[in-house]
Amino acid sequence: MRLPAIIRTSVFQLTILYVGLFGVSVATLGWFIYRSTVGYLENQTDEVIEAEINGLAEQFFQLQRERGLEGGVRGLAQIIQSRRERTGTAGERFSYLLIDQNLRPLAGNLNRWPAPSDMVEGWIEFSVPDPNAADAQVPVRARILPIRPFELTGIRVLVGREIRELEQINDRFLRALTLGLGLTMLLALGGGLALAFSAQRHVAELSRTTRRIIAGDLSQRVPVGGAHDEHAELARSVNTMLDQIENLMAGLRHVGDSIAHDLRGPLTRLRNRLENLSDEDTPSRASIAECLAQADRVLATFNALLRIARIESGAYRKAFATIDLGPIVDDIADLYEATAEDKLVELRRKTIDDAFVFGDRELLAQALTNLLDNAVKHTPPGGHIDLELRRHEGTIHLVVADSGPGVPAESRERVLQRFARLDESRSTPGSGLGLALVRAVADQHDAKLVLTDNGPGLRVTLTLPATGSPRAES
Amino acid sequence: MRVLIIEDDHEVSSYIRQGLIQAGWNVDVADNGKDGLLMATTEQYDALIVDRMLPGVEGLALIRTLRASDNETPALVLSALGEVDDRVKGLQAGGDDYLVKPFAFSELLARLEALIRRAKSAGSQHETTLSLADLEIDLLKREVHRGGRKIDLQPREFQLLEFLLRHAGQVVTRTMLLEGVWNYHFDPQTNVIDVHISRLRGKIDKGFDKPLLHTVRGAGYRLST
Repeated sequence: MRLPAIIRTSVFQLTILYVGLFGVSVATLGWFIYRSTVGYLENQTDEVIEAEINGLAEQFFQLQRERGLEGGVRGLAQIIQSRRERTGTAGERFSYLLIDQNLRPLAGNLNRWPAPSDMVEGWIEFSVPDPNAADAQVPVRARILPIRPFELTGIRVLVGREIRELEQINDRFLRALTLGLGLTMLLALGGGLALAFSAQRHVAELSRTTRRIIAGDLSQRVPVGGAHDEHAELARSVNTMLDQIENLMAGLRHVGDSIAHDLRGPLTRLRNRLENLSDEDTPSRASIAECLAQADRVLATFNALLRIARIESGAYRKAFATIDLGPIVDDIADLYEATAEDKLVELRRKTIDDAFVFGDRELLAQALTNLLDNAVKHTPPGGHIDLELRRHEGTIHLVVADSGPGVPAESRERVLQRFARLDESRSTPGSGLGLALVRAVADQHDAKLVLTDNGPGLRVTLTLPATGSPRAES
Repeated sequence: MRVLIIEDDHEVSSYIRQGLIQAGWNVDVADNGKDGLLMATTEQYDALIVDRMLPGVEGLALIRTLRASDNETPALVLSALGEVDDRVKGLQAGGDDYLVKPFAFSELLARLEALIRRAKSAGSQHETTLSLADLEIDLLKREVHRGGRKIDLQPREFQLLEFLLRHAGQVVTRTMLLEGVWNYHFDPQTNVIDVHISRLRGKIDKGFDKPLLHTVRGAGYRLST
C-alpha cells in the first residue's frame, strides 16, 4: 500500500486532527503543572530574598536612629560584611552588595553593580562565577532596594540568591514536557496510522470484491474473517446482499431462459406456417387464422408477463378500496360453471356475507379466474371443485380445492414461480404464468397463498386480512 | 365511415390505417396532438383513435378539449400503459373506449364499430325490445322469443344476448363480452366465454334453419342474419 493512499483516507485525516487536539491538550496540561510548580519555587526564593532585604532595611533604620545617617550606613556595611558567606537551606549562596550614589561598593561579596545604573528598585537576574568550578557561571536572582530616603542616603542594597536548583528543575521540567509531548504525539500518530491501515485494508477488500463483481464474477464474496467486529458484520451483510442479488439474477436468468424457451417454440411454428403459406398462391383463410391464433398466444404470454410485472410494481395499490369478495366469487363461479359442467366437473360454491377486504376487484377476480381455470383443467370428469369463502380470526379465506392429481409437496413452492410447471417438458397447455400472477396478486394484498393436499387434489388457500364494511368505516 | 387516427408511432398508425382502408373506411392521420386537435375540430369524423402519449398536446388533454367545446365525436383511446387506473383516467377524460397496445386489429375494428353505432343510436337508447330477424327480446319482461316460440334463458344468458343484440351485425370480442356482461376488464385467456356462447347458441339457434350467432375466427362472435 502506498503512503499517499493512506494519507487520503478519512481515518488518517481524522487521526491527524485527533493527534493535533491531543497534543494541544497535553501541552496545556503540562504548561499548567510547570507554571504552578516552578512558580511556587520562584515565589519561595523571592520570599526568602524579600525577608532578608527587609531585615537589612529594618536593621539600618534601627542603627540610623541610634547613630545617625553615617553611623547607620557604616553599621549596615558591617552587617552585610558579616553575612557575605551566608548560604541558604539547600546550600545556595547569597549575594550582597551595598553601593553609594556613585555605584561604589561599600560592602558585600559582589565586585560590581550588576544592574543598570539608574535602577533604584526591582528584581533582576544575573550570573556570578561558580566558586566550585572554573569558567562556570551560576544564575542569581536578586532584589534591589533603596535605603530611604534615597535622596538623602543615596545608597542601595542588593540581596541575591543562587537559583541553580530552580534553573535545573526548570530545565528538567521543560525537557520532560517536550519529551512527553513528543512521545504522546508519536504514539497517537502510530495508533492513528494503525487504525487507518486496518480500516483501509477492510475497505480495500470490499472494493476489490466489488470490482470483481462489477467485472462479472457474481460468485465473489467479501472475506469475513474470524472476528466478530463491525467489519465482519458489514462483510456478512454485504455477502447476504450479494447472495440475494445472485438469487435474483438466477431467477431473472431462469425467467429469461423460460421466455426464450416458451416463445421460441410458438414463434418458430408461426414462422414455419408463414413460410409454407408464402409458397401457396392462394393461402386458405383457415391457415391464416391459425397463424393469427399462434401470434395471439405469443402475445398473450407477453401480456401476462407484463401484467405480472405491472402488478408487482405496486401500481395498483393506490387504487385499492374496501370491496366485498362475495360478489366476485359469485361472478367468477358463474363464469366457470358452464365450463365445469361441460367437463362433468361439479363446481360447489360456499360464500359468506360481508367478506370485506382491502384490495382491487379486477386483480382478485383475475387471480380467482386463474385458480379456477387450473382447477377445471386438472380435475378429471366426475370430480368436483370446492370454491369456498370463510371467515377466520380477522382474515378471510378464499379456498379453491379440486379433486385432481394435486401437486407433490416438494413442488408446491416452485409452481408459484413464473413459467414453472410440473411437467418440465412443457407439453401441457397453458402459459405457466397463472399461479405466478395469483402469487403477485396475493403479495400486493398482503395475503398468504398456501398450497396444501386436498387428498386427493390440490387445495389453494388465499388468506386475506379482513376489513370492516365500507359503511362502518365512513 | 371516416376516422381520424392521432398517433405519433408511424408503424402503429399505418397498421391501423391499412386495416381500416381495407375495411372500406376513409382514414386521416395526424402524428401529433396539435395537428390532431385542429383536424378533429375542423373536419367531420365518425370516430377518433387517439394515442395517449403524444407530442404537442397529450391524448387525454386533447379529448378533454374536444368535449369542452361540445364535440362529441366518439373517441377510442390507445395506450401502452394499459392498466385499470389508466383506463379509468381515459374514460373520465371523455374517451368512449380504451384499448391497450399491443392489440389485434379485429379487436380495434370491433370496438370502433361498436362506438360509432352507439353514438348514432344515442337517441334511441331507451327501447324496450330488441330484435334481429325472427329473434326478439323484451327488455322489460326479460323474455326471449324466436319464430314465435318462447326461449328460456338464464339471467346471464339473457344479458349476453342483449349485449350481442345491441351490437348486432358487428364483431364482438371475448374481452368486450367479459367487459359488457360481467364487468371485468382483464383478458380471460381461456375458452370460458366460448362455453357461454355455445350454450346460448344451443338455445337460440338449435332447431332453427338460419343460425344467427356466428363465430368469427380469430376475433370473436357476431349476431347477424
